[in-house]
Amino acid sequence: MGPGGPAPGVAGLRVRIERCVSRGLTRVTAHALGPYQTAIVRIGFGAAWLLFLLREWPHRHELYGPDGPWSFGLGKQLVETNKSFTVLLWSGSTSWFELVYAVAMASAAAMMLGWHTRISSVLFMVGVLSLQNRSVFMGDGGDNVIHLMAMYLVLTRCAQVWSLDARRARRAEENAARAAAHEVAQKAEHQAAQEGGHEAAQENAPYHVPHQAHAGAAVPANAVAATGGVVLWAVLGAILLGGTIAGALSTGWALFFWALWAAHGLWWCLERAAVRGGEAVREARTVCDILANLAHNGVLLVIMVEVCLIYSTAGWYKIQGSRWQDGTAVYYPMNLDYFTPWPELSHLLAGSGVMIFLVTYGTVITQVAFPFTLFNRRVKNVLLAFMILEHLSIAVLLGLPFFSLAMIAADAVFLPTVFLVWAGRHAGALGGRLRGLLPGARRPGPDAAAPPAPGWPAMAPPGPRTPQAPRTPPQPSAGPAPGESGSASGESGPAPRKFASAPRESGAAWRASGTVPGTSE
Amino acid sequence: MEPAAHQVPGTDSAGEADGMRGIAALSLPARIFVAIAVAVVTVGVAFHVAMVFLQTAPDNTISKRHADVVDSYVYPEFERNWKLFAPNPLQQNVAVHARATVAKEDGGTETTGWVNLSAMDGEAIDGNPAPSHTQQNELRRAWEFYVDNHDEKGKPYGLRGRLSEQYIKRIVMLRFGSELNGGSVERVQVRSAVTPVAPPKWSEEKADLRTQYSVQPWWQVTSADLPGGAK
Repeated sequence: MGPGGPAPGVAGLRVRIERCVSRGLTRVTAHALGPYQTAIVRIGFGAAWLLFLLREWPHRHELYGPDGPWSFGLGKQLVETNKSFTVLLWSGSTSWFELVYAVAMASAAAMMLGWHTRISSVLFMVGVLSLQNRSVFMGDGGDNVIHLMAMYLVLTRCAQVWSLDARRARRAEENAARAAAHEVAQKAEHQAAQEGGHEAAQENAPYHVPHQAHAGAAVPANAVAATGGVVLWAVLGAILLGGTIAGALSTGWALFFWALWAAHGLWWCLERAAVRGGEAVREARTVCDILANLAHNGVLLVIMVEVCLIYSTAGWYKIQGSRWQDGTAVYYPMNLDYFTPWPELSHLLAGSGVMIFLVTYGTVITQVAFPFTLFNRRVKNVLLAFMILEHLSIAVLLGLPFFSLAMIAADAVFLPTVFLVWAGRHAGALGGRLRGLLPGARRPGPDAAAPPAPGWPAMAPPGPRTPQAPRTPPQPSAGPAPGESGSASGESGPAPRKFASAPRESGAAWRASGTVPGTSE
Repeated sequence: MEPAAHQVPGTDSAGEADGMRGIAALSLPARIFVAIAVAVVTVGVAFHVAMVFLQTAPDNTISKRHADVVDSYVYPEFERNWKLFAPNPLQQNVAVHARATVAKEDGGTETTGWVNLSAMDGEAIDGNPAPSHTQQNELRRAWEFYVDNHDEKGKPYGLRGRLSEQYIKRIVMLRFGSELNGGSVERVQVRSAVTPVAPPKWSEEKADLRTQYSVQPWWQVTSADLPGGAK
């Protein structure tokens, strides 16, 4: 800013700040950011916990059962002092324990697949907390990360892509588009005469156009799924009521669960009502959608900060350690009986002073530097690859596969969208090919693992200064409600026009809905 | 929040302009509601991050001043509790040994030799790509819990000390079983055997590699310490 013109400089600054704020507000209200990142985190943690529970199946009674060494009575006495949450102490019966373990596994599988995710994620959290808090001395760092993320994921819209929810939404949309197209063809003549004024009105309120256009047709297509969600919701409400009356929940947890339950119910009602309802209902629905986006984006930020904290504090503490300073730290775990499943391999690595030095220093440098590299996309990605590689080797060398899987799942929140989309497409293609080999394969079409439509503008690489904020229009999908119709977050999508060139179904759906108001086209 | 058209001249993305019109298209009460929500989420996220940061950071001016707020917020669910390799990695192998006195049918008693329970864990871990928590964490972390809640003479600190004692006893009994060496187990005793890891061969460090034992008192075994007798 030159001394000659401070006034325009200040004004320019003000404009720029205003623009930044409004752009930021738009971002966090209109979109649930990082759809691919949150999806991979959901899949990663669901998988880590599911695989862990499967692996421990033969040992489950010893770990968490009422008669394990950390007995029901011991667990109860400790939990009374620290007030942690666990449903396993509601009853000391073995069948209750088996039920909780089974639900924990089922919810982990549902998280992986993205099946009724807003509900599954709550059950997932309940399962993780219940088992871990029941026997807190059985866990390690991996359990700790899963514990934190299980809570955070509850408040995210983490099933926007790569989920059964997203597939259901997509199909509903396709049906809606077909129905709408059909309707349009039928009514075109009748409407042509009356359209004029109406069309202009809708042009001014594009926010409501998409779901208004296809929601009506989406509901029947989704009726079964919606009913399933409502049943699930009602059953959980009954359990929650029982738990509250029995006084098994602390006030804080009771409030939290009832708030979630009420929010799900409200969202479902609004989804329904918005189909036929007036302006007020649709606006209420829009506001709820914005709230869900806000919560998602806030928690996404928390997840990212948490991962940075994990690394930076680990790094800072290490820097103070004499063994990390003299470059021998990594040598010692290679000689601990509890962490050397492959002693020959460990001793081979431990035999090379230079190698140990490089890994020791590399680890500290990476951990301390990581949060700061977020300002530079390219360096961040290099470090990310390095850390994932390091965790893979920890999995094998130290015999900590579940810890490593959990850490990699946490790291994945920083993976670039382009990479995730690319990986998703290849995974989808591979899945399709495998399915094609199966006898009686019906169609290799889009499903949970299938890639998003290749024509998506989503694939535009995010700008260098916003590594984590893909310009991705979130796919209309998993809203916060069990029985959402395919129109969820329809209004938060981009202008239909944007998709005009998208070659595949979702684009077609949007185009169809986009043409409704402008039937004169 | 004013109408967006004036605020976002030349936005670089159609999506953004679209979303902004979205907020602007809301009625005034709805916009106020959204504004409050934005404020609540912002404050909530900032508070949460601050609390989690203060818990993980080393003790400092702020975390000491607000220790009670931080602790009551972070514990028990938002705790981060592992520092396996920091500030220094563990540099010794900690093994837990146990022995028992058993009552024979002929009326005599016998004291068994020390059994290295950790070595049994080690064997189970060897060549195992996915060791179970029962092998890798159970005894190891139980012993940490025990040591943290006992003084050097084996006196327990409060409730956690007593819980850790019973926990160790139950782990030992799970592995021994109530019948051992042809008699029933009456008392058990544990000791830790701590062996430093030898310094790397390329370093000039000299270290005393002898194993240090720390023997705990004998404990009477009751039916509550047996698997199944735990309620």
